[in-house]
Amino acid sequence: MRPLLLVRKQGVYGSLQDQGRYGYRAYGVPTAGAMDRRSFQASHLILGHTDNETSLELFIGGFEFEALAEATYVLTGAESICLVNGLPIEMWKTFQLKKGDRLTIQRVVKGAILYLTPYGGFQAEQQLGSRSCFPLGHMGESLQKGHILYGQSVASSTKTRGLYAPYRPQFESHRVVRAFKGPHFHLFSIESQQQFIETTFQFVSGNRMGYYLKGGVLQLQQPRDILSEATQFGTIQVPKSGEPIVLMADAQTVGGYPIIATVHEDDLDQIAQMRRLDTVKFTLMEV
Amino acid sequence: MQRMIEFPTAFWVSQYTIRFAFQEEISAENSRNVRLFRTFLQQALSADLLEVVASYATVTAYVKRKVALQPLREQWYAQQASIEVSVSHTPIQIPLCYDEEFALDMQRVMDYTGLAYEQIKQLHLAKVYRVYVIGFLPGFPYLGELAEALFVPRLAKPRQRVAASSVGIGGAQTGIYPLDSPGGWNIIGKTPLKLFQMQRAQPFLLDVGDCIQFYEITKAEFRQMEVNSY
Repeated sequence: MRPLLLVRKQGVYGSLQDQGRYGYRAYGVPTAGAMDRRSFQASHLILGHTDNETSLELFIGGFEFEALAEATYVLTGAESICLVNGLPIEMWKTFQLKKGDRLTIQRVVKGAILYLTPYGGFQAEQQLGSRSCFPLGHMGESLQKGHILYGQSVASSTKTRGLYAPYRPQFESHRVVRAFKGPHFHLFSIESQQQFIETTFQFVSGNRMGYYLKGGVLQLQQPRDILSEATQFGTIQVPKSGEPIVLMADAQTVGGYPIIATVHEDDLDQIAQMRRLDTVKFTLMEV
Repeated sequence: MQRMIEFPTAFWVSQYTIRFAFQEEISAENSRNVRLFRTFLQQALSADLLEVVASYATVTAYVKRKVALQPLREQWYAQQASIEVSVSHTPIQIPLCYDEEFALDMQRVMDYTGLAYEQIKQLHLAKVYRVYVIGFLPGFPYLGELAEALFVPRLAKPRQRVAASSVGIGGAQTGIYPLDSPGGWNIIGKTPLKLFQMQRAQPFLLDVGDCIQFYEITKAEFRQMEVNSY
């Protein structure tokens, strides 16, 4: 374990994440973990990690770090303007920081989330089998100015490695996302069922707990209460307002709003990378 | 003689999630069935099962790969009688101090219900509660059902911070805060027990389907037990 980075600017929202915390949903502990698993896994693939190492997940931009030691890193995820000592660097390819270097994640250009990973991963305390930050459950803390981030490994790698462009995920401003009918789909009015698949929804706001969409008012055939039941990362629930919410990695494990659909596991990264004004259309498929 | 419990309605939520639904109602019988079925799934799916979440009327299984439902149904009818015995219904005793220091919303509850402090305590103590769901926060139990005379709506404006181990009532349920957190339930007391403690071998005190009973303690006893609380 060694100090790697000092947080100079804390940006929009940053947190350490691994693959997630499994086995405690029955006790109300969400899985947490990287929201865009594809980009997260790519960073570990590039660095040659085989274990469940930890990355720093960064939203939107506004981050600045000072390197406290020499180390190798990679940035993956949303296309962003990233600078070392003021000069642009390439994502999806390893780069070195020397002591005193400044790494700036200015802002995303496409998509919303990026991952900063050092060789060996970041160090964080294992809590219930995972290093993923989940502040509401008092497991870790979100990134704050003045924090020092530690690396797991003292070794470093100088080999340059990367992921060829054709293999990098793309995050356009409009996406079509596969979803499965939810357990309460049939309770929605025929018009709302139709609307759900025909409407282009727009991202309004969101965080690691939920993404709020607008585009249509979805309604039940008859207003009624639903008994709370298990939800998951990708559950699309519809509160009384009629505007859908997609539950994300830190969402509570049970919910009492009608569930119209559930996002296909393999399309969660596309949802996770939505940002303001981005749009999505859902296409229903059979399990 | 045991009555056969029907195999619940199975529904694939996504590639790796199956939802099993019993009757859509809040009842002790449903809760028993749900817990029984959960235990059954843990045994029947074992290696294919990632985890399972039980609620009022549903059991949701997160699986590692597709599983065949027909054999599962047959197994359920064949094995349910033998599973029943492994489920205990002995209430877990939870000490509770209703002292004014902790009962932040007792005045509001008194105003709303028209009951006296003592009556509220007695009504709250009189029942054995069942953990219907755990959610909202790690280890937060939704306990039902509350005596109807104690139904009080949640706070219009939730508190920014409710202390861990506070006991609240809201609507038809009572609950215990496992962590310091924001919250909107009417706080009527506090237990010296910790519902969630990461370092403990079993971090969570309660499980879905558990029965619990509160017993009253004084503030002095509270202080003593808080020190000894594991």
